[in-house]
Amino acid sequence: MELQDTYYNKSEYVETASGNKVSRQTVLCGSQNIVLHGKVIVQSDAIIRGDLANVKTGRFCIISKGSVIRPPFKKFSKGVAFFPLQMGDHVFVGENTVVNAAVVGSYVYIGKNVVIGRRCVLKDCCMIEDNSVLPAETVVPSFARYSGSPARLVTALPEAMPDLMTEFTKSYYQHFLPTTVN
Amino acid sequence: MAYLTQLDYVKYICSCGQLKPITSLYFCRHCLKIRCGFCICHEVDSHYCANCLENMPSSEARLKKNRCSSCFDCPSCFHTLSTRATLAQPRQPVDPAGGDTKVENKQPKKMYYLSCFNCRWTSRDVGIPDQPVASGGWPERANPFATRINQLLDYYKAIALQEKQEKLERERKKFSIRGKYITLTDKTGLTGAMARNIAGLPSNEAGSSSAIANFVASQASEEVEQLPDDIYTKEVNLKQITSMPQRLASPEWQPASVARLHPVAKLLSVKRSQRCRACDHNLTKPEYNPGSIKFKIELLAYYHVPEVKIISHEPVKPGEKTALLVKLTNPTGHEMQLRLLQPEDIPPVEDREEPRSIEKSLERSLNLEKDASACRAIERPPSYAASSVVATPVGALTLAQRDDAAEYDDDTQHDADHIILWRKSNKLALRLEVTTDASAADGAPASTAFAIEYSYRNTVPPSSTAAHHRDHTLYTTVLLDLGKVHA
Amino acid sequence: MSYNIKIQPGGTVCEDCTLEGDITIGGGTVIHPRVTIIAEGGPIIIAEYCIIEEYSTIIHKKSDKQENPPKPLFIGAHNVFEVGCKLESPCGHVGESNVFECKSFVGVDVKIGSGCVIGAACQLTAPQTLVDNTVIWGSEHHIREALEKQPSQLLQLDFLSKVMPNYHRLRKPNVHKRQPSRQSQESSPKP
Repeated sequence: MELQDTYYNKSEYVETASGNKVSRQTVLCGSQNIVLHGKVIVQSDAIIRGDLANVKTGRFCIISKGSVIRPPFKKFSKGVAFFPLQMGDHVFVGENTVVNAAVVGSYVYIGKNVVIGRRCVLKDCCMIEDNSVLPAETVVPSFARYSGSPARLVTALPEAMPDLMTEFTKSYYQHFLPTTVN
Repeated sequence: MAYLTQLDYVKYICSCGQLKPITSLYFCRHCLKIRCGFCICHEVDSHYCANCLENMPSSEARLKKNRCSSCFDCPSCFHTLSTRATLAQPRQPVDPAGGDTKVENKQPKKMYYLSCFNCRWTSRDVGIPDQPVASGGWPERANPFATRINQLLDYYKAIALQEKQEKLERERKKFSIRGKYITLTDKTGLTGAMARNIAGLPSNEAGSSSAIANFVASQASEEVEQLPDDIYTKEVNLKQITSMPQRLASPEWQPASVARLHPVAKLLSVKRSQRCRACDHNLTKPEYNPGSIKFKIELLAYYHVPEVKIISHEPVKPGEKTALLVKLTNPTGHEMQLRLLQPEDIPPVEDREEPRSIEKSLERSLNLEKDASACRAIERPPSYAASSVVATPVGALTLAQRDDAAEYDDDTQHDADHIILWRKSNKLALRLEVTTDASAADGAPASTAFAIEYSYRNTVPPSSTAAHHRDHTLYTTVLLDLGKVHA
Repeated sequence: MSYNIKIQPGGTVCEDCTLEGDITIGGGTVIHPRVTIIAEGGPIIIAEYCIIEEYSTIIHKKSDKQENPPKPLFIGAHNVFEVGCKLESPCGHVGESNVFECKSFVGVDVKIGSGCVIGAACQLTAPQTLVDNTVIWGSEHHIREALEKQPSQLLQLDFLSKVMPNYHRLRKPNVHKRQPSRQSQESSPKP
C-alpha cells in the first residue's frame, strides 16, 4: 500500500532551513561534528555520536526512533582512532538499529533492530533486512539483500533500486507532517 | 519490491505468462514486450570479488576456480576474515656469530594474521604462521587428490575429443557417400593422420588414446577400515569437532577436527547483463566497474510501462461493491494515453510478418544454425484467479510525461471528476469500483485484474532498413491483491 | 529506592544516565550516555576499565531466594558492554575481559567466566555457566572456544576518557557517600 501520513508533534521537532527535521528528544553529541545534508529526519531517542568522530549524512536520510549512529574505532599500535561515518543520500535506518559502519552508500535500506558492526562498508543500493546482524568489517556489495545473524546474501535487488529508494525516502519526507491541531 | 518492504500487491503479467511485480520485469524496446527473469538470457559480464572489489578477467577467474586470491572466508562461520597486524619481536638467531650482525633486526616487525570478527577464529588457532606481508602469501594446501583429478580431467578431455572426431568422421562419410567426386585424400593418397596433422588437430592414435588406454577406473573395495575401538566410549567434545557446513565448505579436505580448519578463499561475484531471447538485444548491461551502480543499458519495465499502485481499498465482501483507489504513474518522457479494459478485451496479437530486408532474413537463416531451443522462450497463458471484477471507466485518460522539476511545485489538482481523484504531474489517482463474486468464501484471497491500453512512443533511433513506427498502442494486464474476502 | 552511587577517581560517567540503587563504579571505567544501571536487588560493583555503551542496561534483579544482606553483583575489570546490551543477574559474578556485543541479552542464572564474547543479538536465557574464552555467535547461538582472551580496550578507554569530558556533562568522581542525585534526563537535549 502507499505510505500513509505520519504525524509528529510540532513542538517536539526542530526544522532547519535546509529542511532537516530533528526531534528534541535525541542525543546529538558533538553537534558541531554532525552534518545533515538537508531533508533529513532524525526521530526521537536516536543517538548520533558526533563527539567520537564526524558524522555526515546525505540528503533525504531517515534515522528512526531509538537508533544509534556511532562512528567506528580502529586500534592501531599507537592508540585508537575513531573513523568518520559517512552516509549517502536516500538512506533509511530502521527503529532500534545500531550503525557502526564506516561508510553507508546511497540508496541503502537498513531495517529495524539491525546491528551493523564496526567498520562495515555498505555499498550503494543494498538492503539489510530486519533483525539482521552484520559482523564487523563486512562489505555489502551493491544490489545485495542481506539477512540473518550473521547476515548473508539472500537475494539480489532489482536494478531500479535507486529509484525505489528515492521515491520511498521522498514520500516518507512528504508524509512526515506536523499535527495540525492547535 | 515495488513497495520496497511490503508484499507485492500489484503484479504484471509477463509476455511469458509469469506474474511478477513491475520491479522484476524488463521491457524490450525492439519487441515492445514485457520480459522477466525467466524468459531472458542471463550472461556473465565480469567477475569481481565482493569484498575487495577487484576485477578479474574470466580466464583468470576460471584458473583460480572462481575464487579471490587475496580475500578469505572464515572456515568456522564463513564470515570474511580480516587481516590484523601485530608487532613481533624477531627471534634472536641461535647462531652466536650471526647474533651481533643482525642487531637492527631486533626492532619489532609487523606481522599479519587473519582473524574473524564474528566468531573470533584466527589463523593462529590452527597454527598457520603469521605473514610478513599484509595480503597474499598465505600457504596454499595441496589437494590430496590432485593427481587423480588431473587424470580424470585428461581422460574425459580425451573422450570428448574422440567423440567429436567420430562425429566429424561420420559427417564426412555421409558427405562422401553422396558426393561423386574424388576427395582430396583419395586423389593424393594423403592418409587421415596426415590430414589431421596438417589441420593442426592432435593425431588420433597418439595423444588421446594413450590417455584413454592408461586410464584406470576406480575400484570399489570390499575392505573398509574398521572404526576405532573407542568410537562408542570416547567422550565427544563438540567444540573440537567440525560441523557439516564447515566440512562441506572445503570439500577437498573435509576436516573432521577444528584444528584442521583452514581459511577458504572467497568466491567471486559476477556482474551480469541480460538479453532478450527473441531479438538478442541487451535489456540490461551494467558498467564494468564493480563499485558502480550505473547501467549502460537499462530497459526496465519500471521506466517504460505505466505503474499501478494501490493507494487503499475497502475490505472486500462477497457480492458487494468496494471502492479501490489506485495510482497510475507515467515513467516515460512522453505523454501517455491510457484506457482501462477487462483483461479478456485485449485484442489478440496478429502475427503480421513485417517486410524484412534481405539482410535481416539472412541473419535469421544464419541464426537457425544456432541451437534454437536454448534461446526460445516458452510462452504460456497466465494462470490467475480473480475473485472480483473492476468496473473499468470508459474513455481515455491522459497522463503527462515525467518531469523531474515538478516535485517542487506541490499543488495537487483535484478534478471534479468522479473517477479521477487527483492529478499531480505524471501521476494520477483513480477511484475504481470492484464487484466481488457472491460465491467468494470468507477468508479466501481476494484479487482483481484489469488490462491497460497505453500509448508508447518508441525512442529507438529508427534503423535504416526497417520501416519504423514511432507510436504504438500496447497492452498489459495487472493483477491486484486485495487481501482476503471478509464475509 | 536509595541512591548511593560511588564513582572512583578516573571514572568517566555521563550525566545522561539512569543510575539507581547502590552502585560502585571503578576508576578508568567509561559510561556513555543513556545507560541504565539499576541495583534493586542488591549493590552493583563495576570494576576498573569497563566500557558501557549507549542504551545498555545492567539490572541486579530482586529475587525471592535472596540472602540477607543481598550479595552484590560484581562485574570484573575490562568488560565491554556494547550498544543496547542487557544484563539481568541476581547471582552475581561476571569475570574479566568479556565482550557483550550489541543487543545481546544475558538473563538470570547465567554465570560468566572471563574472556567470553556474547555475540550481537544473542539471547542467553537458560541457566548456564560459560567457561573462560567462550564465544557465542549467530542466531543459532554457535559456541566455540577462543584461543586467547579478548584483547583489552585500554587504548580506547584512554581516548574516551580524554574526549568525552569535552562534549558531555559528567558526574564527578566521588568516593564518598553521595546524596541522591537529581535525575538528569530532562536537562539533556542540546541544540
